[in-house]
Amino acid sequence: MKACPEEIVLYMQEYLDGDLSREDEQVLKEHLQNCSSCQTHFHELKKTITYIKSTSHIQVSDGFTANVMARLPKEKNSVGVKR
Amino acid sequence: MDAIVNERIKQVLKGDQEAFGDIVELYKDRLFQLSYRMLGNRHEAEDIAQEAFVRAYVNIHSFNLNRKFSTWIYRIATNLCIDRIRKKKPDYFLDAEVSGTDGLTMYSKIAAEGKSPDKEVETMELQEIVQREILRLPDKYRTVIVLRYMDELSLNEISEILEIPLGTVKTRVHRGREALRKQLHNF
Repeated sequence: MKACPEEIVLYMQEYLDGDLSREDEQVLKEHLQNCSSCQTHFHELKKTITYIKSTSHIQVSDGFTANVMARLPKEKNSVGVKR
Repeated sequence: MDAIVNERIKQVLKGDQEAFGDIVELYKDRLFQLSYRMLGNRHEAEDIAQEAFVRAYVNIHSFNLNRKFSTWIYRIATNLCIDRIRKKKPDYFLDAEVSGTDGLTMYSKIAAEGKSPDKEVETMELQEIVQREILRLPDKYRTVIVLRYMDELSLNEISEILEIPLGTVKTRVHRGREALRKQLHNF
């Protein structure tokens, strides 16, 4: 059994960032057509991204903005507040 | 949105503190999500997100109005998160061990409940697992992964936020994704 070219995993990664050149994309596609273990690897990477994106969106508490405003250094008309 | 933000910043610079409230409203959700993904704890995440806004306010004069405000405030929040993670590192490792054990319990629980018709509960648990696995990443990988997928930031933006070279961002995104792939292999 022949080992897969080292750059294939790099190509997968670059593809996922829209960073892969057209020629290299062709190399990746052809390799994937013939290599089921790389296909699985690629599929798992894509699944991982879906998972990361699916993490639940939690809400800030209602008083968030008011709390921030309360924590701001007080602005006084007098001099002395450094920003 | 950048126009609105710049307008508000100018007001703040003139001494109108209330105008800063609008900026907080616009970015609070994203800063909170960012901190929560980084820290995994709601209370800490709110605290850090609030602190980030306070720092932004105090340093608002140093913000360059020709740059993107989101990049600037993300940088403040990210740095605060990383500081927090590093400060609690000894605890963090203990936690990691405990949560590793929890993880096992949860994995077996999922396997046992695999046929449960309650799909919603399953989804919730998967989300929790994903969050847990993100937290297991070393902070340099966690940071880029969170920035990349929370707000779909480009590699260039991430490089600007973290002030590290683009090539380094790429490598870290690659490694972070690969590490998560292995960690989530069974799901």
